[in-house]
This record gives sequence, structure tokens and C-alpha cells, in this order.
Amino acid sequence: MNALIKLELARALRNRKFLFFSVIYPSIIFLLVAGQGGGNQSVDDSGLSVAAYVMVSMASFGALTAVLMGNSERIAKERESGWVRQLRLTTLPGRGYVLAKTAGAAVVSLPSIVVVFLVAASVKHVRLEAWQWLALTGAIWAGSLVFAALGVAIGYLASGDAVRPITMITYFGLSILGGLWWPSSSFPAWLQDIAKWLPTHAYAALGRAIEQSQAPKAQDIAILVVFFALFTGGAAWLYRKDTLKA
Amino acid sequence: MVVGFDQVSKIYGNVRAVDGLSLRLHPGETVALLGPNGAGKSTTLDLLLGLKHADAGTVSVFGLSPREAIVAGRVGAMLQSGGLMDEVTVQELVKLACELHPKPYRVTDVLARAGISQIAGRKVNKLSGGQAQRVRFALATAGDSDLIVLDEPTTGMDVSARQAFWATMREQADQGRTVLFATHYLEEADAVADRVLVLHRGRLLADGTAAEIKAKAGARRISFDLEGEIDEAPLRALPFLTAVTVSKSGSAAGSGQTVRMQSSDADATVHALYGLGVYPRNLEVAGLGLEQAFVAITEAEEAKEVTQS
Repeated sequence: MNALIKLELARALRNRKFLFFSVIYPSIIFLLVAGQGGGNQSVDDSGLSVAAYVMVSMASFGALTAVLMGNSERIAKERESGWVRQLRLTTLPGRGYVLAKTAGAAVVSLPSIVVVFLVAASVKHVRLEAWQWLALTGAIWAGSLVFAALGVAIGYLASGDAVRPITMITYFGLSILGGLWWPSSSFPAWLQDIAKWLPTHAYAALGRAIEQSQAPKAQDIAILVVFFALFTGGAAWLYRKDTLKA
Repeated sequence: MVVGFDQVSKIYGNVRAVDGLSLRLHPGETVALLGPNGAGKSTTLDLLLGLKHADAGTVSVFGLSPREAIVAGRVGAMLQSGGLMDEVTVQELVKLACELHPKPYRVTDVLARAGISQIAGRKVNKLSGGQAQRVRFALATAGDSDLIVLDEPTTGMDVSARQAFWATMREQADQGRTVLFATHYLEEADAVADRVLVLHRGRLLADGTAAEIKAKAGARRISFDLEGEIDEAPLRALPFLTAVTVSKSGSAAGSGQTVRMQSSDADATVHALYGLGVYPRNLEVAGLGLEQAFVAITEAEEAKEVTQS
């Protein structure tokens, strides 16, 4: 299984377009959005500066891009081309393929998080305690597994021409409604009621709690856990269905 | 026993893709699986490789389940249009296959044997159809497997590439491996296989050497011209015939007939023909190709099914 993981990693790191969109692009948006906010003015009642607030949004967004976009389309394509079938004729265990894909995505998502942090700290002078930087990196990286599972599920659900639009709608829907691009407090009340139940909203809230040196809200953790169970369960079910059909 | 199918059935909706199939493959055999489209060749191979599960009956490979046999490294397989991982090089992909095999060969040897050493550095998505086929072959032979399964392996190859491919394949067989391949190029089955299985509507229609299959179909064609009005009844009563057609011959004489027959014993048939006291002109006796034998067998089966229903 390690052999496939190694090759998936090598391939992920070689794909310049993908690296640009998941590693560089979130930092560019960070600079654009954080640049508008005036100095140390805080966002909502969070007590966080615009830069600190947007930093977590964009680190989460970058990780989401890396794990969701990479997996869904690639899995759908390789399922159709017959590569997944070919792998089933090797000693690779059934879960090996999905694990390798997830590992490949995780390797790209880590730099996308770190690069946003580096840009935020050096250009926008975001200052946090050492433990906060580490906790933020760990939480956002680990949290991205929720969306990696979603990417796998979409890859096994959709095929052909359908996979890209489904991924895009899910990706932009979750990013925007979850408040990764604009604070969800700027939404109308009815939309805020929907947004607060989205996994992306809980995901960013987790990071912000760390910045505020607060314990994460139980509701946010519960939302992430429920969605993770839902997505992995769905992915496992779709995977089995696909295997029987093959 | 390498492969054992025991009363295996696979049903899609109300189509029996494989219908009570029983067969055995023995060590060292090179076996061709023939059949018209939809005969159940691919389904049979999928069952053998554990990609599909039988609705009835059992499939065993080296006495194990298909999946166990693969995990033990005893089976190497090349699928029809099996996709490849793209954006990696040929070398990287073959290395992956070697690393996943319990009894791997060296990557350089695998590349050389498949004739792809020169394109080892090329990206997989930049290959021609024939080159991709060779890469698939390399993946199927990355380790010391005892059974090699190939589904339409030479599709997309030109004639010389096909010949080179079968030369490589014969080396594999000479080392004592069992090779099972499905093909629609009947001359390949004729030239390469020790044993031919003819599949039709999911059932085994014929099982033997290429020569036996041809004999079963009526192995030789006899054709000749007769002048004047002829009585067809004694011709049709000749021994060992499997088929007869009589048509107006194109000769200038006008009243001649051309007779074409297939016989399972051409010598005896021709001997009896002269015994009728006729004078056949332009007599030709020729062997039936495997292709014609195959068509004859499957058509006879279709006709039987029509009369039964």
C-alpha cells in the first residue's frame, strides 16, 4: 500500500496547476481580503483582527480545496478508465486506493495551510502564541479529513461529465455559505440559520476558537463529527456498491 | 488444477451471461477463450479474477478463492481497456506493480521483456494504443505468477507488434506458466493455443485443440463443378458431410452446377463421390480455418436453439 501512497504523493506534488490552486491561491485571496480591513479593527464580536479572522478562513479554504477538488474528480475518472479495476488485480487491499488518495490530498493540504499562516504572519503581522500556531495547523489539517471523505464519496457517486459540476457546486456552496469567503454574520438572518449547521462553518469556527484561546464549541465539534461519519459512511457504501458492480 | 469452474452462473436481469459453466485448466496449458460478442468471455474472466461474484456455483484458482489467489501472487492479469494511472511515467507504474507483487521481478527486466525500456521515462497518458497495451502486459507480468490471464491482449496493436507480443507470451508459457486469453482474432488462437474453449451464450460449446475444433465443425471444404442436370439427393447422402450447397456455376457451358460441401472426412467423401459415377471438374479440397469452424459451430448451435423453441 505504501508503494501506491508514494506514487500518489509524487504525482500530487508534480501537478503544478493543482498545487497553484490549493497552495498559492488561498494566500492570494487572503492578501486581497485582509488588505481591505483597516488595521486592528475587529470582526464582529470575535475580538480578532480582520487579518487573523481571514487567515483561518483561507487556511480552511485552502485545505478544503486540496482535499475535495483533488479526490473527487480523480477517483471518478480512474473508476471509469478501469484503473481502479486494474488495482483490484493486485495485492493492494480494497481500502488502499482510498487511503492513498486521501494521503495524497493531505500532503498538499498541509502546505496550503502553512503558506497562508506564513503570509499572514510576515505580511499582515498576525501574532499568536506558539501553541496556537501548532494547534491551528493540527486542527485545520485534521479537520480537512471530513472533506477528504466527502471528496471520496463524490468520486464514487458521480461519473463522467457530472463529477465536475457536482464538485464545484459542493465546493463553492460549502465555502461561501460556510462563511469562508465573507463572515457569515454579514448574511441575512435566515441564511445564517442555515450556515451555522454546515461543516465548513464549524471547521472555521474551530480555528477561530483557538485564535481566541477559547475551548471550541461543543456544537461545532458535534457537527464535524456527524458530517465525518456521514461522509465516510456514504463513501464506504458507494465504494462497496461500485465494487460489486465493476 | 489451476482453475476450476463448477456449475458457475452469473445473471444480469434476465440474461444469463454465464450459464452453468464448468471447466478446468491444467498447469502449463495455453488456452484461448473464443466466442462471439456477448458470449460471456469477459464475464468469465471477471469471475475468474474475483472482479465479479458468481450467482451460483464455485470458482477456484489454485484451490483458493480468486481474491486469495491474487493476494498470494499466483495470478497476473491484463484487462481489456484496463485504465492506467496517468501523469506518472511508465517506469514508475511498472515499479508500483513490482512493489505490489509478492514475488516481484526486477523493474528493468519487466520493462525489457515487455519491450518498453525505451519509453520507460514517458508519461503514461502520452502513449499510443499499442504502447499502452504493452504497459498493461508489463503490469500483468511484474512478478512470478503461475497463471496469466489476458483479455483481448492485442487489441490496438499492428501485425508486427502482435507477433512480437505472442513471441513474448510463448516464452511465458514455455516457463511452465498457464496462460488463458480471450481474443477475437481467431488466427491467434489457432497459432498460439494448445487448447481452445468456445463459449456461446455463457455455455461451453466446444473444448479441444484447434484441430479438434475444426474437425468438429466439419474440417474440410470440398468444391467441384458438375455439368448437366444433376440429382442432388445422392450428393446429399454422401458420407461425413456437415453442409452442402448447390448453385448455378458461372461457366459458359450454361447448365453446370457448382457444389460446395463441408466434410469431417474429406477423403472418404471424395471417394464416395467418384463411386456415384459422376465426373466432378475443378475439384478442390481445402482445410477449414478456425474462423470458419468457429462460425460453423456457433451457427449450428443457433439453428438448434431456433428449432427447439
